[in-house]
Amino acid sequence: MLNETTIEVRGVRLNMRRGGAGAPLLFLHGAQGYAGSGPALEMLARRFEVLAPDHPGFGRSDVPDWLDDVPDLAFFYLDLLDALGLERAAVVGHSLGGWIALEMAVRSTRRIKGLVLAAPAGIRIAGVPRADMFICTPDELARLLFAGDGWKAWTEEQQAGPDALDIIDKNRFAAAKFCWQPRLFDPKLEKWLHRIDRPTRILWGEEDRIIPPAYGRRLVELIPAASLALIPRAGHLLPVEAPDRFADETQRFIAGIAS
Amino acid sequence: MKVLFFHLMPYAYLDLNYQEKYKTDWVVLPNTYFDPVKGHELYNRYLDELELAAELGFDGVSVNEHHQNAYGLMPSPVVMASALARRTKTAKIAILGNAFGLREHPLTLAEEHAMIDVLTGGRLISGMVRGIGAEYFSFGANPAFSHARFQEAHDLVIQAWTRPGPFAFEGRHYNFEYVNVWPRPYQQPHPPIWCPSLGSTETVEWASHKSRRYVYIQNFSPVAAVIRYLNMYRQMAERTHGYTASSHQIGWAAPIYVAKSDEEAVAEARPHIEALFTKFLTLPFEMLFPPGYLSMQSLKGMRAVRRPAIQGGKVSIEGLMETGIFLCGSPDTVRRKLIESHHALGFQNFLAVLQFATLPRALTEKNVTLFAREVLPALQALTDKDYAGMAEAAAE
Repeated sequence: MLNETTIEVRGVRLNMRRGGAGAPLLFLHGAQGYAGSGPALEMLARRFEVLAPDHPGFGRSDVPDWLDDVPDLAFFYLDLLDALGLERAAVVGHSLGGWIALEMAVRSTRRIKGLVLAAPAGIRIAGVPRADMFICTPDELARLLFAGDGWKAWTEEQQAGPDALDIIDKNRFAAAKFCWQPRLFDPKLEKWLHRIDRPTRILWGEEDRIIPPAYGRRLVELIPAASLALIPRAGHLLPVEAPDRFADETQRFIAGIAS
Repeated sequence: MKVLFFHLMPYAYLDLNYQEKYKTDWVVLPNTYFDPVKGHELYNRYLDELELAAELGFDGVSVNEHHQNAYGLMPSPVVMASALARRTKTAKIAILGNAFGLREHPLTLAEEHAMIDVLTGGRLISGMVRGIGAEYFSFGANPAFSHARFQEAHDLVIQAWTRPGPFAFEGRHYNFEYVNVWPRPYQQPHPPIWCPSLGSTETVEWASHKSRRYVYIQNFSPVAAVIRYLNMYRQMAERTHGYTASSHQIGWAAPIYVAKSDEEAVAEARPHIEALFTKFLTLPFEMLFPPGYLSMQSLKGMRAVRRPAIQGGKVSIEGLMETGIFLCGSPDTVRRKLIESHHALGFQNFLAVLQFATLPRALTEKNVTLFAREVLPALQALTDKDYAGMAEAAAE
C-alpha cells in the first residue's frame, strides 16, 4: 500500500513512503531506519494517509551539509508540513524520530493534531543511563534493541537487499552526526516541553534496554497533556517488536482527539 | 635520513589477564587497573630512555597523544615534550601528534606548542592528527565532524602562528574574537608539521597539497601499506598537486628490536611485541572506526576486508616480521632491511619504536644502545643518492 516517492523540501530530496487513506500521519523513524517497520506502517495506512520519509542524511534521502543537529531537523520537518499544506497532521515518532517530533512541537504545533511518541530520545535524566548504540557491535546492539528474539529476523531484514549495507553505514553516520554529542539528547529541550499544547501519547516497551521506561514517566511529567502506556514484552524497537500494539495505540489515540 | 626514537609510553604493568573481563584496554578498561606509584616509575623511566637516545645521537625524540587506555599513557604529550625540552640540547622534539580538532579550544595547544618551540629555540616538530576512533568516545567529540574540525582547527592554528594578531577567526566549528597568540613560535613561519597516519588516502592527499607539503608518516603498517602510501604521496604531489615532493616529506614509523643475533632478538622480543598486538593495541571495529570517522567511500573499501579490527588473538612475532610491521634481528639484519626499504621508497624520516608494551628497562636500554651504535649511523648517512626512484624501484 505504501509507495516510495521523492519529495523536495528546501532543496533536499527526501525519499518518502506514502500511502493509505485518511487523515495525514507523519511517521518519523528512529536511528535504525525502516528495517522491520513494514507491518506497523501498513497497519497505520489502513486508517491514515501515512507519510514516512527517510530523514535527511538517512536511507535514500540526500545528505545536506547544512542540517547538522536535531533542532535543524525539527525546523526542516515544520517546513515539510508547510510545503505539504497539511493542517492537522498526526506526528508519530520513534526514538530519534520521537526526539525530532518533540523539538518540532516545542517550536510550533500549528499544523500538528497530536503526538504519538514511541520511546523518544531527547532528554536526559541524570543518573539513569541509556545504552550506547555506538560502542556496541552490531550483534550486541541488535540483542539490546529487542526484548525477545526478534533481533535475528530483524538483522536479516536489515541486511537484505543490494544496497542494504550502504544504508546501514549511511544511517550510522547520520545517527552519529545528530546524536553523538551530547549523546541522544538536547540540553535545551527539557525546559521548553511545557509549550507542547497538543494531546501526546507516549508508548514505551517495558523491557526497553536502550532508553529505560523511567524516561517515559519523566516526559509525562513535563508535557502538559501527556499520558504513558507501557507495552509488556517489548523492547526499544517498539514498532518492530509490537507492531499491533503500536499501531492500535496510535490509531485509537489519534481518533480520540476531538477535531 | 633523520632518525627519531618514538616512545608510546605504555602502561607496562598492565594486568594481562584483563581480557577475562574486558574486551579492550581502550575507553572501557577501568582506570583502577592503573597504579600511580608504578606510573611514576614508568614516566621517569621512559623519559630516561628518550634522553639516552638523544645523548646517543638520535636526531630527535618523539611522543604522542592517546586517551583513556593502557597502550599509551600520554593524554597530553605536551607534558612529556616539556619535560624533554630542558634535558635535551640539540635533538628535535616531535609531538606526533596532538589532536587539535578534538579540542573545543585548539588555541590552547597552539599556545603550548609555541611555548615549547620558543623554550627549545626551535626544536619542535608539531604533529597534527585527528586522533584514532577511540578518542571520539573518550573525548565526547562527534566523529561525524572529525575531518571538518581537523581542517578548521589546522587553519586556526596555522593562522594563529603566522598572522599578526589580534584577528577574529570566523569558522563553522570555531569562532574566536581575539586570536593573538603569545608567544609566537620560534621557527618561522611555524614549526614543521608532520601527519602520522595508519594509512589514509584523504590524509595523504591533504598533507601532500602544494600549499602544505607536510611530512606524512606511515605508522605501524605492513610493508605493503608503507609502499602504497609513501608512493601515493609522491604520485599525488606530482599528478594532483603539480610539483615534485622531496624525500624529506615522507617517513615511516615501526617497532624495532635488535640484539646480538637474529635468534636472540626474536627470543627477547617475542613476549613483548606479541603483547603489544594482543593486549595493548586491541581495538574493536566500533572503537577504531566510529561512524563518520571514515568517509563513506573508505568505509565501503573496508567492508571488503570484513570489518577489520586491530585485535590480536593469534598474533605471532613471525607473522609480524613477515609482513614487515615489526623489524627484528641482529643489527646487520635490521640495517639491511631498512637500507633496502630506503632504496625502494626513499623516505628521509624514520621513527624507531624501540620500547613497546611490556619490554622492560634493561632490554629497552640495550635495544636503544645497540641500535644507536650499529644501525643509526648507516641510516643517518642515507640520502636521495641511495634512493632508486619510484619508477626504477618498481621495475626491479
